[in-house]
Amino acid sequence: MNELETKIRAEAERLLSEGLVDVVIAFRQEDAPLHPQPAFFTQVEELESLTYNGMCANNLANYLTRYPQETRIGMVVRGCENRSVNALIVEKQHTRENLVLIGIPCEGILDWRRIVALTGENVLSVEEKDDSVIVHTRENTFELLRIELLHPSCQRCLHPNPLSADILLGDPKPEGDPHLMRLRIEALENLSLEERNAWFRHEAERCIRCYACREACPMCYCTECFVDHTEPRWTESGVTPAGMQAWHIIRAFHQTGRCTSCGACERACPMDIQMTYLTDKLNLDMADTYQFEVGMDAETQPPFATLTLDDKNRFIAQGK
Amino acid sequence: MSAPPIKIALFQCRWCLYSPEDQAWVDNDLPENIHLVKVPCTGRIDPLFILNAVQGGADGVMISGCLPEKCHFKEGNLAARRQLAEFGSFLDYIGYEQARVRFVWLDLQDRGRIQQELTAFETTLETLGPAQALATRASAPMGGADE
Amino acid sequence: MNYRLPKKVLIQTLNAWAEQAEVFAPQKREGYAQFLPWEAGNELLLDEPHNTRFPPKAFFLPQSETLLTYNRKLSQLEMPALQISQRIIFGIRPCDARAVALLDTVFATADNPDPYWQTRREQTILVGLGCSEPATTCFCTSVGSGPFDHAGLDALLTDLGEAYLVETFTVRGEALFANLASANANDAEQAGTIQQQASALLEPAFTTDGLKEHLDQIFDSYLWSEFAQSCLGCGICTFLCPTCFCFDIVDEAQRDERVRNWDTCMFRVYSLEASGHNPRPTRAERTRQRFMHKFSYWLEHADQFGCTGCGRCVRYCPVGLDIRAMIRKAAATPSEAVHVN
Repeated sequence: MNELETKIRAEAERLLSEGLVDVVIAFRQEDAPLHPQPAFFTQVEELESLTYNGMCANNLANYLTRYPQETRIGMVVRGCENRSVNALIVEKQHTRENLVLIGIPCEGILDWRRIVALTGENVLSVEEKDDSVIVHTRENTFELLRIELLHPSCQRCLHPNPLSADILLGDPKPEGDPHLMRLRIEALENLSLEERNAWFRHEAERCIRCYACREACPMCYCTECFVDHTEPRWTESGVTPAGMQAWHIIRAFHQTGRCTSCGACERACPMDIQMTYLTDKLNLDMADTYQFEVGMDAETQPPFATLTLDDKNRFIAQGK
Repeated sequence: MSAPPIKIALFQCRWCLYSPEDQAWVDNDLPENIHLVKVPCTGRIDPLFILNAVQGGADGVMISGCLPEKCHFKEGNLAARRQLAEFGSFLDYIGYEQARVRFVWLDLQDRGRIQQELTAFETTLETLGPAQALATRASAPMGGADE
Repeated sequence: MNYRLPKKVLIQTLNAWAEQAEVFAPQKREGYAQFLPWEAGNELLLDEPHNTRFPPKAFFLPQSETLLTYNRKLSQLEMPALQISQRIIFGIRPCDARAVALLDTVFATADNPDPYWQTRREQTILVGLGCSEPATTCFCTSVGSGPFDHAGLDALLTDLGEAYLVETFTVRGEALFANLASANANDAEQAGTIQQQASALLEPAFTTDGLKEHLDQIFDSYLWSEFAQSCLGCGICTFLCPTCFCFDIVDEAQRDERVRNWDTCMFRVYSLEASGHNPRPTRAERTRQRFMHKFSYWLEHADQFGCTGCGRCVRYCPVGLDIRAMIRKAAATPSEAVHVN
């Protein structure tokens, strides 16, 4: 049990025992050593099983839209999760007054795939100790460097510190370097048109339309997703190229100005598709064109929701 | 051996052609290689419409609408400008040239301009050639897509 | 009949097969094991403790398949006969082969066979590779199978180190190996030991005595709502599952084709009816459905569990739900636990 876990439990206990929230959303270590589970605590007695560590890979803001706005929710949030919460509040999907955000400055999420690539699949436990990660498998013990196991989105993270937490547990971490995300996108932009298309088709073609990316994403909360719309039917539902490509293109585009680059989609994908290359590009465009970064407060509307006549000089008559 | 005809999808806002002659031409005399989709406002155009046209083999997509301050519904074309402009840029990122998505914002004095724009667009597209990149509305192979 | 396949002739054996049939074998692409067409010069991936990521049920029930094409203008319909060349799937794990045999009870019934399934099945030979060191996520022995189960296989290989022991079970399996030397008594004994040790590595995940009856009794339990809390409702468990078979048939009107696609009971729209009524309106009912189908309803239909313990759902669930732990929890949930609406 680490120090941060103790502090989170204490805060959760306070919130529940004083009746300040109806539920605390955090994580719990269940049976999968590599995947702690999102957990929903309503009783103080349950808090014994609350866990928090680098293997906690889901964006908890995803669960906010499952609750009515009257529900008072205490939630553990890292930097990206806090921004997702803000984005949801801007979209009126929850009310700030009914949230108690337990902020954790984040050191980055460990990518279970990187661990398994180094240790093999039979992992029994994962422990973090300063800069190391100790992995016990059925056959062996490995000591790995934390920095080498970070999920790519976390390596490029801009804002690891929750911006608007009600309580901050842990020391603030340095802000991220915006160049890292830009470099990755520029590397793709600098490829030829054919190469970019080839990369896009390559990443899309192993998609199995499981929609784990959608379900893991806090901003995908539509009661009817465009792929399920039937009159008319815009997107093929199977694994034909048209269907898979349309899915990737439109889901990413629906995230424009809404995605916090948390990477939960990539971590959920069973086929290891690195779809953040689509959303990160759109996020950069929003930053460059509209000086907009989602989730930095709970008021600013995203660019596609703010229409202004000033745009008439922004776009020239032909082309863009 | 002639090149296959360039296929253009034209999304036309029904208010933007101020001249009845222009509208009559679009309604009745549009060349066969141009497919018309009339919309009540460019703000109605969902990126899905454009993607559907592109996947169906459109070599170019033209969106014709009113000037920003002249939208019949006040702000519809403002929404279109932001979203569809970004979508055109996004399509370029994944391999469909931005030049294949063209916006034409028309005003009272732009009579006849729609024909000129379409002709000019067709010339540009002929230089670019037919669009292969995203024209994927191909069959699931008889026998399935197994792995 | 048992044969001995020295490892140094494995590649040439596959190459020889590839001259008569399409051969598929586990290979690494995109960082994980997949069944890919075998070509001379490719590299096999046979030593992973677990099976391929994507299930081989796709060889018989493709994720997307065109059933017929039509021409509305001419009111014509075309349903060409399926042409499948002879195929050999090499290195399929017993859990996956058993799953194919289970799906035969759905698609290859005597009174109503699915011709698409049948044609593929008839054209395909399954050569299995037993699991000498099952992964920690495997639980085949808990559901009536095992790392060297024969079900669904034409032949099964046991890795002896320098060679494989080959057990053949069908005429087609026999024909593939008939030119090899027979296995000797040592080989058989060594294989027996390896197979026993493999089974011993697998701890029982849950007891199945009375499991179906108990699940039926706790149908209305609050437990399912608890499970549903973290469940994302994605399709990973069902699509990667080698025994899940639900499908949806759609007309792709823009291509004039009728297509069959995999579907999943995890999606809200799966059970959504045209009237708007949904008999499984929340994630609780849908999460419950997976358990009930695999561990209760399958028994009513085929007298076997609809799960072969392959472990994919355990490895790839994005929120760490482990079906084994959930069964244990269900077994421990008293049948008086009240369903709270």
